[in-house]
Amino acid sequence: MKKTLYLALFATLVMTACTDELFQVPITDKESSNFFKSEVEIEEAVNGVYSTLQFTGLYNLYIPALGEISSDDAFDEVPANDNGIYGELDEFTTVTSNALITRTWKDSYIGIQYANTVLNRIEGISFTTPATKNARIGEMQFIRALLYFNLVRLFGDVPLVIEETKNPNDFFGKGRTPLDQVYQQIISDLTNAIANLPVSTTQQGRVIKTAAQALLGKVLLTRKDYNGAKTQLQAVVSSGKHSLLAKPEEIFSISNENNAEIIFSVQFASGINGNTEGSAAHQQFSPSGTVSGAKGHNLPSKQLVALYAANDLRKNAYVGTTSIGTPFSKKLVKPTTSPADGASNFVVLRYADVLLMLAEVENELNNTSSAATYLNQVRKRAGLADATASNQADLRTAIELERRLEFIGEGHRWFDLLRYGKAVEVMNEWFKSVGKLITINSNRLLMPIPQGQIDTDPAIKQNPGY
Amino acid sequence: MKTMLTIQTSLKRWRIPLLLLFSTFYFIPSGWANAQEESFVRLDFKNVPITKVLAEIERQTDYSFTYNKKQIASIRVEKVVFRSEPLKNVLSFLEKTANLDFVVVNKLIGVKVKAINAPKSTNVPIPKVNTIPTPDVEVSGSVADDKTGEPLVGVSISVKQSGNGTYSDAEGKFKILVPGVESTILVFSYVGYETVELNFSRNQSLDVKMKESALRLNEAVVIGYGEQSRSRVTGAVSKIDGTELNKYAGTSFEQQMTGRIAGVQINQASGQPGKDAQVIVRGIGTLTAGNKPLIVVDGFPLSEGTPFSSINPQDIASIDILKDAASATIYGSRAANGVIIITTRKGKMGAPKFELDVFSGFQARGDNVKFVDAYDAATFFTEARDWGYVSKNPSKRKESDDAATRLANGASKRELRLNYLQPYLDRQAGLTNTNWLDEVFRTAPMSSYNLAVSGGSEKTTYYISANYFDQEGIVVGSDLERYSGSINIRSNFSKRMEFGLNLNPSYMSQNFIKDDGNWSNDPVATATIMYPFFAPYKADGTLAISEQIQANLAEDGALSENPLALMARLKNKRYSFRTFGNSFLKLELLPKLSYKILLGGDYRSTFEDEYVPGDVGEYRIPAPKPARSTEYNGIRNNYLLEHTLTYAQKFGKHNLDLLAGYTFQKELGNQTSITGQGIPDDNITNIAGASTYSVSPSRYIWTQISYLGRAQYAYDGKYLLSVALRRDGSSRFGAESKWGVFPSVSAGWLLNKEGFLSDSKLITYAKLRGSWGKTGNNQIGSFSSQALVRGSDYVFGNQLGAGFAVATSPNPNLSWETNTSYNFGLDLALWDKLTISANYYHSITSDLLLNVPVPEQSGFSSSLQNIGEIQNTGVELELAGKGIRLGQFTLEPFGNITTNKNEVLALAPGQTQIITGQGSAFRTRVGGPIAELYGYKVIGVFKTAEEIKSRPVLPGTLTGDYIIEDVNGDGAITTADRTGFGTYNPKFIFGFGTNLAYKNFELSLVFNGVEGRTVHTFDQAYITEVGEGFGVPTQNYFDNRYHPVNNPDGFYAQPNLGNFSAARRDSRASSIYFVNGDFVRLRTAQLSYTLPKAALSKLHLSNLRLYATGNNLFTITNFTNFNPEATTSDSVLTSGYSRGDYPIAKSLIFGIRANF
Repeated sequence: MKKTLYLALFATLVMTACTDELFQVPITDKESSNFFKSEVEIEEAVNGVYSTLQFTGLYNLYIPALGEISSDDAFDEVPANDNGIYGELDEFTTVTSNALITRTWKDSYIGIQYANTVLNRIEGISFTTPATKNARIGEMQFIRALLYFNLVRLFGDVPLVIEETKNPNDFFGKGRTPLDQVYQQIISDLTNAIANLPVSTTQQGRVIKTAAQALLGKVLLTRKDYNGAKTQLQAVVSSGKHSLLAKPEEIFSISNENNAEIIFSVQFASGINGNTEGSAAHQQFSPSGTVSGAKGHNLPSKQLVALYAANDLRKNAYVGTTSIGTPFSKKLVKPTTSPADGASNFVVLRYADVLLMLAEVENELNNTSSAATYLNQVRKRAGLADATASNQADLRTAIELERRLEFIGEGHRWFDLLRYGKAVEVMNEWFKSVGKLITINSNRLLMPIPQGQIDTDPAIKQNPGY
Repeated sequence: MKTMLTIQTSLKRWRIPLLLLFSTFYFIPSGWANAQEESFVRLDFKNVPITKVLAEIERQTDYSFTYNKKQIASIRVEKVVFRSEPLKNVLSFLEKTANLDFVVVNKLIGVKVKAINAPKSTNVPIPKVNTIPTPDVEVSGSVADDKTGEPLVGVSISVKQSGNGTYSDAEGKFKILVPGVESTILVFSYVGYETVELNFSRNQSLDVKMKESALRLNEAVVIGYGEQSRSRVTGAVSKIDGTELNKYAGTSFEQQMTGRIAGVQINQASGQPGKDAQVIVRGIGTLTAGNKPLIVVDGFPLSEGTPFSSINPQDIASIDILKDAASATIYGSRAANGVIIITTRKGKMGAPKFELDVFSGFQARGDNVKFVDAYDAATFFTEARDWGYVSKNPSKRKESDDAATRLANGASKRELRLNYLQPYLDRQAGLTNTNWLDEVFRTAPMSSYNLAVSGGSEKTTYYISANYFDQEGIVVGSDLERYSGSINIRSNFSKRMEFGLNLNPSYMSQNFIKDDGNWSNDPVATATIMYPFFAPYKADGTLAISEQIQANLAEDGALSENPLALMARLKNKRYSFRTFGNSFLKLELLPKLSYKILLGGDYRSTFEDEYVPGDVGEYRIPAPKPARSTEYNGIRNNYLLEHTLTYAQKFGKHNLDLLAGYTFQKELGNQTSITGQGIPDDNITNIAGASTYSVSPSRYIWTQISYLGRAQYAYDGKYLLSVALRRDGSSRFGAESKWGVFPSVSAGWLLNKEGFLSDSKLITYAKLRGSWGKTGNNQIGSFSSQALVRGSDYVFGNQLGAGFAVATSPNPNLSWETNTSYNFGLDLALWDKLTISANYYHSITSDLLLNVPVPEQSGFSSSLQNIGEIQNTGVELELAGKGIRLGQFTLEPFGNITTNKNEVLALAPGQTQIITGQGSAFRTRVGGPIAELYGYKVIGVFKTAEEIKSRPVLPGTLTGDYIIEDVNGDGAITTADRTGFGTYNPKFIFGFGTNLAYKNFELSLVFNGVEGRTVHTFDQAYITEVGEGFGVPTQNYFDNRYHPVNNPDGFYAQPNLGNFSAARRDSRASSIYFVNGDFVRLRTAQLSYTLPKAALSKLHLSNLRLYATGNNLFTITNFTNFNPEATTSDSVLTSGYSRGDYPIAKSLIFGIRANF
């Protein structure tokens, strides 16, 4: 009996000793309840928010493509390639399950949620330098505004979320937020960002005050608040932070990134961190045969390239041509190592854009001479004479053309067409001129809401026409 | 039954081995009850009354003595000292020294003072009776198996009239004392053998041959933490013997189980050597958690995802499958997908016996997929390019336009004809015409060498085996070599202490292909885009490299690397070493109360070495290109500590077995994956040649603590009741829900023991069963309840900024899925020849571990939650005939059929369906089955523009595209017109076959099949039958494609490359690509010949068997792709979707098995 007792005792010891073992924490991952606890960790989380901008659905591939490929300035060399995700946009046959759209939606909201989380957690954390904390808050507000601005321009009404997610189930049945309300949030975020952000930073690529001003200017321009836009854009000009580079080819040189003309760009670098910091854009947006794995998505159209005047310095600086005459953008520099690991930053806002937006604003406010001044700054750098247009309508046309030539391959044209309100007209004309049996109506100006989101939550309604 | 004695020494004595147990690394085991040991006694007396000695023996054994106290009270024993001596020897000693006679009747020993001249018995167990009889006549003889002639040990021999009995000894010999009456009948009974009744005449020597019982109703069934006689089982448990399994020549046991067991669906999704099949017990009861059954080897639960191929099937003695919750409850939170218990072979007492089994043979393609030849391919590609061009503007564009005209009209590259196809279109003879399927498939050898030796003394038995298995895959680039062994030792240190050790080491070396459909590393997938216009070898016999990529550049079709070059140059090796096993020590604490401690361990290390050289291209990328290399190192340690107490008691007609236990299991895993880039040349073909590296480490731990208990009660061998309970705590679950309780209850009624059936010749056995129980599923990964923050870096300038972000949403309430099920069963035996077992089951899985898609504005795409319910119902029927004679033939037919139907009862609140998969082709909706194929209903092909105008169509529909039915009749084709088209989960599965013996020949046949299955493959829907002129079409597509001129009656859409419309893309998820996957297959046909005895003795062999086996020799199916079993086995929600098919081989094997 004695041994039985010993045994029971022993067994009890063994059993009680192990209960703590049931609490195991991740070993090679951090865990959210014990993260975001210090300035260092918040900085890491901020970097995490920036990193979403490199996602495929955002500035690695799809945002540049979305801003371009539906327009008359770009086309898909092989529309059926990659399941037609680019080709459908090019030919206005986008299906609701299009993986490009789906990814952009998803990645945008990941970025927004990361930013929401930082904005929520940063409050209670003290920074060695309070100004740094403000700067980080402003950076998050800027990125959130930028992502929402893309979303509303692409999809119209979108769900607006500005809180850190506690329970993903809370989002069922909420539906889409009206466009105006989302714009209010964007404007408010940018206004706060302008207050929070520093004029300059030592680290290249961070959001600075002028970036928020330029973006707010663009948002207000899109909203046709010309006076408001003018204030913001002029603030960028008067900041003295930015200038046009002397030569167009210098702007996109990878040895001269983050130069004076760049206001905000998404950073990519080649050959570091296991080749995870590069962009695949050069590979995907190069014509077949020019580089390993080239896909020929989102190439500049020959018709656009034909619009450059012979003496326009930008033609050679911005556009290359393959042996069989297919043009491509030289703004993406061919990587030296893995073809999907391009080093070129993707420029979101640059000074030439601010100038041309100011030209547009002034022209819409009927200050034609002021408009022409801004326009001519850009023309001059391109080696061109001053614009001859003098009335508002002609100037409007001249500014539009200048934007097409200046921003070739930079993902602006489709959004510009939407802003001008003439996308349907221009595109139908374009298809006719190139002999394609495609006509569109205004329903095609918005992208479809990803089918998966509607399948998941039927409270999210599809855009008309899909 | 089994008797063990309490250790009668001081605590010190047994503490030593116990300490040993804990200080060394211990491994697993099971069946302590495999042999029926005799009682051992320890005595140390001097000059004591005999009664004291007898009392001590009573205390140490479960025997008791009956005697007339007056007669023996005065007898004293001078000295009796035994150190763990068998009882019979002790009794024999006392007979001599104390002049007593002992007569053993069951557990009762009659004692009387020795009568002068009475015959002496040297045998214990001797006669028996209620009143101790006078021994009268001694009969002796032997018992042996009627087939093998081997002596049978431990046969119970009793006198029918009186009940006196004895057992046969180690040589099968017995002596029995029978009362002196005429016409005595002797009854010989032995588990697993037919009972023999003999009339005997006096003084006759009896040599009895016993025949193995056909039905084996009393065979031991392993039920988890113990065994039970089949007739006592109240749950749904199926058993199959290793000898039957091994008639299928394959890498691992699960392939061998196919078609053998009702309720168990084996889907061999890939035929690659070493790739595990999907095993589904009683339907899928989960959506996004793991669906793998728990595998228990000799009592050690292996961790999930354990590769089956590391267990040598020739070491398997039997497999028991716990199918219903009541049986499986004892494994608690891991048992919801069923439990497969593997028992390895053990040694038997006796001289060493050797068994050598060698087989060798070859395998070949078993599918019927045929791609078009180069001439048809040229026609197809040209049709696709022409129509793509013309259909964009039929009024302006003509098929006859040349390339320049086409370009001038704005044609894209895919609207131009391929320049090099003209000779094929002109049907010139003698052009390159490669059948790439013939190139990537091959006839592949397979062989196995297995040597086992077993034997043992009374105290210690052993089984040791060594195996070498070598299989080449039927797809180039794949093979497997396995070296494995098994060591199994059982020893009785003393009568109170049993020790067991089990070790199963294995080492595997594989060249594996990633059969994932990737066009740069899967040769079968690559063959779908590799054009027949290119040859695998250049004129000088060397491999052609990147020819198609180079040739096609201008017009940009599929740019494929030669798969033979890929396979020749790519290195993809996997080496894994694994050893698992356990050791246990079992102590008899008190009579009938045993304690067992078991330590088990499983160690697995895997090393993978991948090198993708620069001198071979890949999809779209010609050689030379940058090389890359990956190395993977993984180590997994799993250990188990288990304490169990068992108690078995009989009182009167009551029979009670109790079990209580505590277990602790822990697994630690760590993996490192290193990718190397910047490799300047192909000199060093591993990561050492790289200049830049990225490393991704990953580690995990999970632990589980469990308490378990079970009570089994039988009354009169007729009424059975079993109750079990397990309480599991797991580190995988949220802080708020660490512990779960899993109860079960089951009952059975043996009708054949009731009066109304006791004399039936028809129904010789009948049992009604019913059970209810709960089990759990914990397969969700180690840290799923916690919100993980993962790396997501950024660069500022070119400076890396380490970034982190919340990657998963937290759920502190996350817990197991609970499966609640009941089972009703009926077991029958008819005429003692045929068993029928029927089960109806119904289970509901609640608190599904559901990776619920959530609105993405939350920042997450899905969230793991315990939400939703699934119901599974089904009927299983198993039939088996034994010993059926037809003239000279002996027939053992079997058959089984299983139905399973699942229905989703609930998903997340507000969520009505989950649509997922490539092309959103799978729907799981409330009220419907899991993973229904979902898409448009195709009802024809548009042949004219008028037809398109006449009905609603998908945007962009062209002639030659599919006509989609307006299912909801709203006058438009929208996503709302998608509908369901059946599931991969078949309506029923079945298996049947027979063993047919004729003299020394035996033929075994096993068929299996599924009925009511639908399959969706990437190949068909996206490449080979979609009509996009990109990859190579199948002959089936080509012969049935629509083309207004060349094939106006076709029912597949018209080839179209340049203008492959959005409508066409959407119709990839449609009825035309949801293909019926029913089949019936001859899984196994084995013909064997056993040499006659006479020949054997000349060869000094005890047995020699020659066999020829054919596996998967034919398959009857309408399925048109490689493998109707192909599926993405890890994702329940897309069951039946496959990308990358490694078809199942048919094989022909010749083998020899010798015993000596």
